[in-house]
Amino acid sequence: MRYSDNQFTGLSALFKIDVKLFVIVILIVIIGLTTLFSVSGGDYNLIIKQLIRIAIGMIAMIFLAQIHPDNFRLFSPLLYIFGIILLILTIFFGVGKSADRWLDFYILRFQPSELMKLFVPLMIASFYSDKALPPSLKNLFVASIIIITPAILIAKQPDLGTALLITSSGIIAIFLSGIKLSHIFLGIGLVIGAIPLLWSFMYDYQKSRILSFFSPSQDALGTGYHLAQSKISLGSGGLFGKGYMNGTQSQLDFLPENHTDFIFSAFGEEFGFVGVFILMTLYILVTLRGMSISIKATDNFSRILSGTLILTIFLYVLVNIGMVVGILPIVGAPLPFMSYGGTSMLTVFAALGIIMSVKSHQRLLRK
Amino acid sequence: MARNYRNETIRKKQRFEEKTNWEALNDPIKDRASHKLRALFAVGIVFLISIFYLNHIYKIQITNHELYTMKAEDNRIRIRPIEPIRGNILDRNGNILAESYDTFNIIAKKENILSKDEFIANASKVFKFNKNQQDQLNIQFKNKTLKEITLKTDTTIEEFTKLSVDQYLLPEMELIINSNRRYIFPEATSHLLGYTGKLSQTDFDSVVDVKDGMTHVGKIGIERFYQNLLSGSPGYEKLETNANNEIIRVLEKKPALRGQDIYLTIDSKLQNYSYELLKGKEGSIIVMNPHNGDILSFISHPGYNNNLFAEGISSKDYKRLLNDKSKPLFNRVLSGQYPPGSTIKPFFGIIALEEGVIDKSKVFACTGAYKLKNYKRPFKCWKKDGHMDVNLSSAVASSCDVFFYRLAETSGIDLMHDKLKKFGFGEKTFIDLYGEKKGLLPSREWKNQSKQTPWYPGETLNVGIGQGYFSATTLQLANATSLLATGGESVTPHLFLKSIGNNIEQTYNYNENKNTVDIDTDSLHIVNESMWRVIYDTDVGTASHLEKIEGIEFAGKTGTAQVYNLDKGKTGTKSLQDHALFISFAPFESPEIIIAVIIDNGGSGSAVAAPIARDIINFYFKNIKTKLAKQ
Repeated sequence: MRYSDNQFTGLSALFKIDVKLFVIVILIVIIGLTTLFSVSGGDYNLIIKQLIRIAIGMIAMIFLAQIHPDNFRLFSPLLYIFGIILLILTIFFGVGKSADRWLDFYILRFQPSELMKLFVPLMIASFYSDKALPPSLKNLFVASIIIITPAILIAKQPDLGTALLITSSGIIAIFLSGIKLSHIFLGIGLVIGAIPLLWSFMYDYQKSRILSFFSPSQDALGTGYHLAQSKISLGSGGLFGKGYMNGTQSQLDFLPENHTDFIFSAFGEEFGFVGVFILMTLYILVTLRGMSISIKATDNFSRILSGTLILTIFLYVLVNIGMVVGILPIVGAPLPFMSYGGTSMLTVFAALGIIMSVKSHQRLLRK
Repeated sequence: MARNYRNETIRKKQRFEEKTNWEALNDPIKDRASHKLRALFAVGIVFLISIFYLNHIYKIQITNHELYTMKAEDNRIRIRPIEPIRGNILDRNGNILAESYDTFNIIAKKENILSKDEFIANASKVFKFNKNQQDQLNIQFKNKTLKEITLKTDTTIEEFTKLSVDQYLLPEMELIINSNRRYIFPEATSHLLGYTGKLSQTDFDSVVDVKDGMTHVGKIGIERFYQNLLSGSPGYEKLETNANNEIIRVLEKKPALRGQDIYLTIDSKLQNYSYELLKGKEGSIIVMNPHNGDILSFISHPGYNNNLFAEGISSKDYKRLLNDKSKPLFNRVLSGQYPPGSTIKPFFGIIALEEGVIDKSKVFACTGAYKLKNYKRPFKCWKKDGHMDVNLSSAVASSCDVFFYRLAETSGIDLMHDKLKKFGFGEKTFIDLYGEKKGLLPSREWKNQSKQTPWYPGETLNVGIGQGYFSATTLQLANATSLLATGGESVTPHLFLKSIGNNIEQTYNYNENKNTVDIDTDSLHIVNESMWRVIYDTDVGTASHLEKIEGIEFAGKTGTAQVYNLDKGKTGTKSLQDHALFISFAPFESPEIIIAVIIDNGGSGSAVAAPIARDIINFYFKNIKTKLAKQ
């Protein structure tokens, strides 16, 4: 068994990173920083803080890109169990403003749920890596348990948004592992059957968020207000936007959360539909590149893992944009590579790192 | 360590693969193809969803662009009206009667206050409020009609700057400029000028032209009648605000247009002097130029402090005014309707002469009472012993009632009603104020309609001496007297002289309203002379006791209107005393002013009302230098 390192040159050879993927992501990051600079009213401190987070993310990415995918596969069960333990600890010792999502280790303070965004795809991919594909019903059931356990723990925090995202990434992983068509229908049936059960477990504020999504006029100043202002920002941007630093909605603070969850609307206000189109294209390119890596990967684990991670990143993009344009309820999800904030930046760069590891450690196919 | 672990695991895996025939079970080519299919399927979904998203965003950004642009503008742009400065009110000589001045108040808009308790606590820190003042704030919060909390009134910009150091505690507070109204002669001009007050719902359905940003309007008096001239046009500021309602910048500004200054026909000196003459009494005075209708004095006594209303009267003060027995809020000139009493005699006399009911030499004997057929009780003359033989001239001069009873009986109510109308009785004078009453000139028809009873002959007699159902306002008496003074030039009594605003002077041509009332010159001459005798004929003149004015002769007529006791009991209290009336014009030969005085329950016209008119004439010709052009 040989590693085909000789096919890489330059940066890729040095850092084992995928240059194409990296360049597209850097473009998105630059768009994010530019928008951030505008909505913060030219606050350099904010930009520097964000740059530090990006740097940390990139270091994590490069570090993970060095690790052989087999190691991810072997350590996945350990990481998964570690994550579950942290989630359980969070239930007892968690801190946070409205929901106990954070674990405070004095030196380190983080959200275990964020880790699970990586660990769940890892665990599914690892689980299926030595099983016959398409998976049997029994293996599907085991995979479901793998997904649902952390999802329930996270939903209890309560963080319904992340729980659903993790569930979705798990479903993507199952899909990529080669689920049979009949099993897909079975799954859909189960999900629909679970909706009433899920509803009864939800907190009132979660219910009201979802209700306000379906009738935004009912609470103009609650979550509906966020959405209304977000649409006003986008809509008033028009085709070419109001121009850089000229977005009245974001500059005058009518657009809430304009440097975190609603940064897309702030960008759309200043750069218009043209800007939005370009940004969407970049995200699609990231996904295509990721999928290309996944298709070219040489074993099932790598294929499932890289495909799941890249699709999950795209899912996050869809969830965030869908939320700020009124396609999905407002759940509080950041826009990958753009939103201000550390945890999400680290997670998506880490995911990129794992994808790049798949790319840079692929074996030459046996003919 | 990890490397060892890894190598060992890989070895384990190889053993596992050999044992389970992994290669056969897991065809890498098949797996790879299957995965590629799924991956491409996923990519297809990515594209589909992306197109769906872009379509949705296209609808927002392109299709509904205008709608959202409008909403974005609504978000950031506030229109703040600028209230114009209200025009001043001045007298005919340019003396200010009412003026606008600015005060600086510190307020906080209720909509900006998030927590009431926190606000009160912080406000108390910044302004060092005591418990009592805090309660006041609470009351302001409870009052739902208030849109803002007033923290400090009558402050200065300097003081606000000092307080602004603590603005972080009280970000809601702001300095606003309030335009206030000040009346220079509050009581003396209260019924004339009225007052301004906060715009209320009723103002919207009125003649008032309510403009955006208007907060105060004239409520009554000149302030009300000329509201639209005085108010000017509000301006506005187009402001850009942020989500916290903080002003970022002014986008556009249109200054307010100051209201017009209004000059009244009033002479403030004469107004104040006349007002003082009524001290301790309740009554009304009109001094007017008979040739053009300029009202020089417009007095209703007692007045009230209209500054209280302009500042926003407290309910305590308002109740006090309402419950005051002297009725200071009642505009006696406009709304007071009195039996004209003997002041009707000159007018009735002219009619009798004109209609040939009598001639000037016709003599009736007055024995102190007049007996009417079918009436048990005789109609008494004010002079118990009677006036002996009197003709019209001496009947007016001595105010003989019996003479006029006979005159009334001979004339009949129909003739009296039809002809007295030409002097303006029973009709509004159309002075430029709201709320004028029109009195009552009774007729058969009127009685039939309102009382459903026929007219009785005795009632004609009562009308003949200005009693019974007959009632008139001070303005009507003044108006009628001016017809005597000018020999039939009918003018509209008015207060508006001119308005000046933005360097444009506007006057109103009252001559267009001028009519001529046909009055027979000979008859007028006889009656006017009899009114001269009222003052100067020491034998019969009811006001001949008046101190004469050197160089100025004047004519007049006293009136003492009986007040009918409604409960038919004589209690002798002041409120049941007779009304004292006096009408007059001066100088006798070529009249420049006419005066009508009515003192409520004042007693006799000759003793109470006449001296007041005499003093006004004296003051006017001695102290008022104004030369009124006689047209």
